[in-house]
Amino acid sequence: MNLDKVIAGFFIIFAMTLNFGFWYGDALDVHMHNKYELFAAIIVNVIATVLKLGDKTQIGSVLIATSLVADLQLLVAAVLWTVYGTTTGIDPEIFGVIISLSGGALLANMTSVILYIGDTLKSKR
Amino acid sequence: MNNSSLWIILQRMRLPFVVITLTYTIAMIGLILIPGMDNDGNVYQMSIFDAFYFVTYTATTIGFGELPFPFTNDQKVWITVSIYLTVLGWFYGIGSLVSLLQDKLFLSEIAIARFKSSVKNIKEDFIIVLGYNETTSEIIKIMLAAKMRVVVIEQNQSRAEYLMLEGFVPHVPVLVKDAHNPISLEMAGIKSIYCKGIVSLFDKYILNLRITLASKILNPHIKVIVKSTTEEETGNLLDAGADIVDNAFLIIAYQIQMALKSPSLFKIENWLYNIDVLESKTFTIPHDKVIICGYGRLGMNLYHMFINNNIFPIIIEQNEKKVKSALNNGIENIICGNAEDQYYLKKANIENTKTIIVATNNDTTNLSIVSTVKKMNKDTLIIIRENEISDFSIFSHAKVDYIFIPEEILIHKTTNAISNPLSDRLIRLLTTKDERWGKQLLMHLIKSINVNPITFELYINKNDSIEIYNYLKNPDNKLTLNTLKSSRRDRKQYNNLVVLLLIRDEQEFLLPALDFEIKINDKILFACDENAKEDLEYIANNGYEFNYIISGHEKEFFSKFLKNKKKG
Repeated sequence: MNLDKVIAGFFIIFAMTLNFGFWYGDALDVHMHNKYELFAAIIVNVIATVLKLGDKTQIGSVLIATSLVADLQLLVAAVLWTVYGTTTGIDPEIFGVIISLSGGALLANMTSVILYIGDTLKSKR
Repeated sequence: MNNSSLWIILQRMRLPFVVITLTYTIAMIGLILIPGMDNDGNVYQMSIFDAFYFVTYTATTIGFGELPFPFTNDQKVWITVSIYLTVLGWFYGIGSLVSLLQDKLFLSEIAIARFKSSVKNIKEDFIIVLGYNETTSEIIKIMLAAKMRVVVIEQNQSRAEYLMLEGFVPHVPVLVKDAHNPISLEMAGIKSIYCKGIVSLFDKYILNLRITLASKILNPHIKVIVKSTTEEETGNLLDAGADIVDNAFLIIAYQIQMALKSPSLFKIENWLYNIDVLESKTFTIPHDKVIICGYGRLGMNLYHMFINNNIFPIIIEQNEKKVKSALNNGIENIICGNAEDQYYLKKANIENTKTIIVATNNDTTNLSIVSTVKKMNKDTLIIIRENEISDFSIFSHAKVDYIFIPEEILIHKTTNAISNPLSDRLIRLLTTKDERWGKQLLMHLIKSINVNPITFELYINKNDSIEIYNYLKNPDNKLTLNTLKSSRRDRKQYNNLVVLLLIRDEQEFLLPALDFEIKINDKILFACDENAKEDLEYIANNGYEFNYIISGHEKEFFSKFLKNKKKG
């Protein structure tokens, strides 16, 4: 049992699951999307990105790229929520943007997980 | 490994980043969960953003204050805990980053990356010089003046820093690595098409040999110039593929031989080596009664040279082992003793000696011998060897007849071999000539030009002399050397120029006559003054000047065009 791989895999998949949890649900209903879940998703995504750093291989570089994309999208969603939440209030349009950003981040996370699984299967050990 | 320094940062910063993220998260979660009280007494929950904002300015110890409202006691308890967590986490992260940036390994990686990129950006001819010391420093200066770039590999960090302080223009990139390693040679650009040569003047013959072998494998087209001190080493180095092997001691022995046979040729050789001018003080070495002090590598070469010319010198050598091995090799006239001592000089018959050559490898010893000799015999010719170039001022005050500096000869032989290869060949041809020929050439040069002409090499090809090349491409056209001697001001007059050597397909033509025909791919060596050199460069490359010299008319462009128009 490789402890490094366990931790890395844990955070990568956890990032994806939290992201999915936030994104799932009717896009028009504010109550279906908890902002604390977005908060948790961002934290775990950042940790997952940090764990992927420093890998010089091709697949390592693509993994970092997908992670950065997911981070970016989620952070922008959080910023939008904060800014509009404290000033003019969240109208359905802004909320739609937030949800779609998190949806995009979900796709990036799924790509990341697929690449990770592919790399593990390839290693034949 | 293009950006290896960036990857090192990212790898080492993993743990610090995770620590910062986790401590922030824990602090934020606590702040979000614990209810606060606003100014009116209402309970409120901090938003995620407020919590993040607070933790940011707390962890970085900025500390704006308790926002948005003063904290309740519960909140204060939690914040106390989180301050210790977050501030320590933040400092750990910053500390890691700072120590990483100062890490020697990291810094040397950056230096290597910078070196490689500056070598890649060199798009002109360059040579690689191994080691930075006084000798190579002179070589670098001469090569930069001859418009050739230089790249240096030096193992010692402080000497490399000294080179960087020199501030050579154009920039001389230096790599701090062991030159042993072929990877260093590759990083220094040995495989680049612009690399024209590598100079290795280490004292250790084994190192020079290794570099010769490695260089020839990595890039068979470059010139390898190495230093050697014995015949055996020279043979091995030439077998390994070295193009030029500098044996300073052998060169000095040849020079003294030339001074023996023909002072004029000696002066010409010194001028070609850039050591002296044509009208320098001459000395003739009488053909007997010679003493050599010091039987090292120089002494040995000198002794054999004298024997070959039927002169039998007496040797004074201090080291008993050397004396024993000399006696074993059949050398009889050798005295074991310290040449600084009057007793041994007397034993060598100093009072009747005409020439004494002081050739030990210690400058202090040499100078002390000279002062003793002067007391005992004022008329003898004194030739001295100077080992450290920096001692030059002391030596020049010693008032001897001639000073030989092996390092200086090495410098000039090396730079000639790279930037003036035709001069080098001419020097080799000189050894076959005699005093009468030498004197004629000397007088001719001094009269036609001046006492210190410059040498100029011209290759007849597309790059260096395009006008001549284009003209000669037409097989009906013929060109002779006197065209190159013509003055730009008036083509019927001649410049101060002497054609020394013409090489065609490895055939050498010494002092060709002015009606000698020029062909494509010829290589010509001229001795001339500045004005003649400038004219020559213009004639070879500038269409208008060339046309004037050939035809006597100014090149007409527009009037030709108009003429055609008139016709048609």
